Amino acid sequence: MKKVIKRTSAFLIVIAFAIILFILLLFIGDKSKGPLENFARAVDNGVAKFEKKMVGGNTREARSASLKWFDRYRNNKVRINYPDTIFLGAYDNNTAESYESIVSLEDSLKLKLPIIQLYTAWGSKKEQVFPLLRAQAIYDLGSIPMITWEPWLNDFDVQKYPVNAAADNVNRGGMKAIARVKYDEYIDTWAADAKDFHAPFFLRFGHEMNDPYRYPWGPQYNKPEDYIAAWKHIVDRFRKIGADNAIWIWSPHPAYKTYEQYYPGNNYVDWIAVGALNYGTVETWSKWWSFDETFKEFYAKISTYDKPMMISEFGSLEVGGDRVKWYKDALDSLPYKYKAVKAVVFYNNSNDNTTSYKTFDWSITKDQQVTSTIKKSIANWDKKVKK
Amino acid sequence: MKPKSKYDLWKFREASPSGTIKKMVLAILVLAGCISIFRLFNWWFKAEHVASLPLFLILTFIFWWGIVRMVILWVSYLQISKPEKKEALQNLSVAIFTTSSPGEPLSMFEKTLAACARITYPHTTYLLDDTKDPRFREVAEEHGAVWLELIGISGAKAGKINAALKQTREDFILVLDPDHIPFPNFFDEVLGFFNDEKVGYVQVSQAYYNQYKSFTAKGAAEQTYGFYGPTQMGMHGRNCAVAIGANCTFRRKALDSIDGHGIGLAEDLITAIRIHAAGWKSIYTPVIVSRGLVPEDLGSFCKQQLKWARGVHEVLFAEVPRLWKKLSLWQRLSYLTIGTYYFSGVTMVLFLLIPYFFFLFGWLPANMDFVEFLLNWLPVGLFGLIIYLYVQQWTCHPEKERGLHWRGMILKFACWPVFFRGFILSLKDADIPYIPTAKQAAKGFTIFARPLIFHLVLFLITVASVLIQRIYFTPEAKLSLTSGDIWGMVAFAAIAFLMVVGGIYAAWQSQKIKQEDPWMNVDLNKIETKKIITEI
Repeated sequence: MKKVIKRTSAFLIVIAFAIILFILLLFIGDKSKGPLENFARAVDNGVAKFEKKMVGGNTREARSASLKWFDRYRNNKVRINYPDTIFLGAYDNNTAESYESIVSLEDSLKLKLPIIQLYTAWGSKKEQVFPLLRAQAIYDLGSIPMITWEPWLNDFDVQKYPVNAAADNVNRGGMKAIARVKYDEYIDTWAADAKDFHAPFFLRFGHEMNDPYRYPWGPQYNKPEDYIAAWKHIVDRFRKIGADNAIWIWSPHPAYKTYEQYYPGNNYVDWIAVGALNYGTVETWSKWWSFDETFKEFYAKISTYDKPMMISEFGSLEVGGDRVKWYKDALDSLPYKYKAVKAVVFYNNSNDNTTSYKTFDWSITKDQQVTSTIKKSIANWDKKVKK
Repeated sequence: MKPKSKYDLWKFREASPSGTIKKMVLAILVLAGCISIFRLFNWWFKAEHVASLPLFLILTFIFWWGIVRMVILWVSYLQISKPEKKEALQNLSVAIFTTSSPGEPLSMFEKTLAACARITYPHTTYLLDDTKDPRFREVAEEHGAVWLELIGISGAKAGKINAALKQTREDFILVLDPDHIPFPNFFDEVLGFFNDEKVGYVQVSQAYYNQYKSFTAKGAAEQTYGFYGPTQMGMHGRNCAVAIGANCTFRRKALDSIDGHGIGLAEDLITAIRIHAAGWKSIYTPVIVSRGLVPEDLGSFCKQQLKWARGVHEVLFAEVPRLWKKLSLWQRLSYLTIGTYYFSGVTMVLFLLIPYFFFLFGWLPANMDFVEFLLNWLPVGLFGLIIYLYVQQWTCHPEKERGLHWRGMILKFACWPVFFRGFILSLKDADIPYIPTAKQAAKGFTIFARPLIFHLVLFLITVASVLIQRIYFTPEAKLSLTSGDIWGMVAFAAIAFLMVVGGIYAAWQSQKIKQEDPWMNVDLNKIETKKIITEI
């Protein structure tokens, strides 16, 4: 009997200690995950920087050389916020490994694009940090990064950011939670990383916040004043940390006339942007809208805010109208009719499945008629408005 | 320093006994290690990790092959036990068989036979000679050994042993390699175990005294420390300790029951598995009661490994299936594990190829996040390391044999072409090709270094072409976004490259070994046989 007790207790002790040891290690692993990821990212960035220094020198013609004129803007926040010309840019979806797709678009347009846009979401995953490597890559290519920063709140680690039991959805009242400092740690880290980037960059937070159907930071879960409070809080955090290189773009949806209720105020906004995407007749809910139809009314109201304006997604699908004419009409009139517009970012997404179960191809790189029209229209712009 | 540590070797040593608390700590580590492995397993097999299914399967196989072997080893450690020494009965009839072949140095036999004569338990030493050199007979008789001339017998050493068995009558036979210098108390440590009528053979540790001579010798010795300590002790605990040719004492009845000593490239292992299958017990006692020679130059080392690789596969393919039903569960597992040891030649080749597949064809086996992998793997690696170091308390000579054994690792890695070759040869059931011995190939690198040099060149060419590609051809828009992946892969290839450099160093250094006969420095009067208490 004594032997049985002895053996059983030895057995249990072994199991208990093994589990404790394992849990201890798990705990250490959990704690070191963040630092380890940061370290890995720092190594990644360091290697890229070092390689750029060693390799990227003068062996080949650099893209940045042909964007030399843009340096005086992108390195100076005042000049870029009070633009005396129109900056062109693009978003392209095929940029996982390379920005060559942007270069191809440039080749087909016979011009260089000073703005390169990317989208990134909030969250605790390791890719949901400030995209330093990408920002640096864009900067090295001679452009300025424009980051659309989407406050999805469902990707956060629930241990660190517990979901309120009363809310069935963490996004419900999310803007209020942001304003009430719940996400400060995330915001601060992001801002600190952004500060380390040093150069100015466009930051478009919570776009289309007035669209009642689409994003969780919109009216379905939040009140306009909460959105504004969140906005101001974030900008304040950035200022406190010293991430003054962020250029704040407020970007509502032009179709829902409530947008003015969401404006955080002149002291908190540097640029105002709006998407102008013509879906044509691909869906029951869509029809062929010309650029004027999309933008005119919005412009009339918002241009009075006295901020430089941007078309942050500029594009048209093919079905239901004349795509070439859409681009021609828009670009021919833009610098004269809409003088406050100081930037146009082409939406060159070849695989857009965000609004429908169908996939839309917005890309224009291979559409020669469109690209030659764009080329011609831009060539006709006054010397004064274009570089 | 040197003389002291050298004489240090000539003392009787034994591993510490297992002990309950020590075993419990070990059990805790093993269990925690297994939980960590389970966690790693859980993470590894996710659909999102598969980049290319065939490559992922290969990677999985390489990776888990090593882990499964490690777990088997861990579990066997749990049975570590040291047999309790028993006094030998009086008047047993005991023989020592040692063999001499043409070309072996006479002076070595002088030393070995003199040492045999000093073994205190009454015995008869037999020199199984086919040198046709009259001086060998002279030396044998000078040291009171019986000279048996056994010329033209097939089956190498084992053939001679079988012939000698027919001409002799002793009940217990120690098969002693001629480079091994036995201590006077050899039989006192061994014979008592035969009081148990079921014991078929008693194996003791195999230790060496010429490690100091080269990198290769050190590395080769390092590879054996764990095996002759915790590994064999664990196997002993499950009655599956294996005979290792040298220093194994057999019961004649056991050898008779399997029609004599096994013949083949791994004759010792063949003999062991047959004796186990015939139902005999085996004893492994972790004592150092003799020291011998370990290969000093890379060529000889690789040749030995090739012979074993081929021989061990022979056991795997010919003996294991035949005797399967007669073996116990742990004996099966043990012989399977030993039989597939040299299969690492295949897994290592695949491991080496991963970065080159990436650079040549852009193939990536897995979509794994490096940090995630690290976090899942680190506990496993950590427990692996801790257990590895922890069980070193059961090595026979802990002061000397503890450590990371990095030379041994480099040497094992540098031998991948040898293991691979051995595996291919046994698949084809082909003979080992003729390889000139170290002496004949004294000038220049051993041919075994050729694949290493090829690997070195391949690495350098790859790095050069990556550099050229990056400097002149990779589009600027791609450079920084791919930089981490590319140089990460280069770093991965560099791990293997560093091991290869270590192997080439061993080959280079093998040419510079001082030509001296290590046994000439051994003073038999200084061998100490009293018990040394190493445990505190």
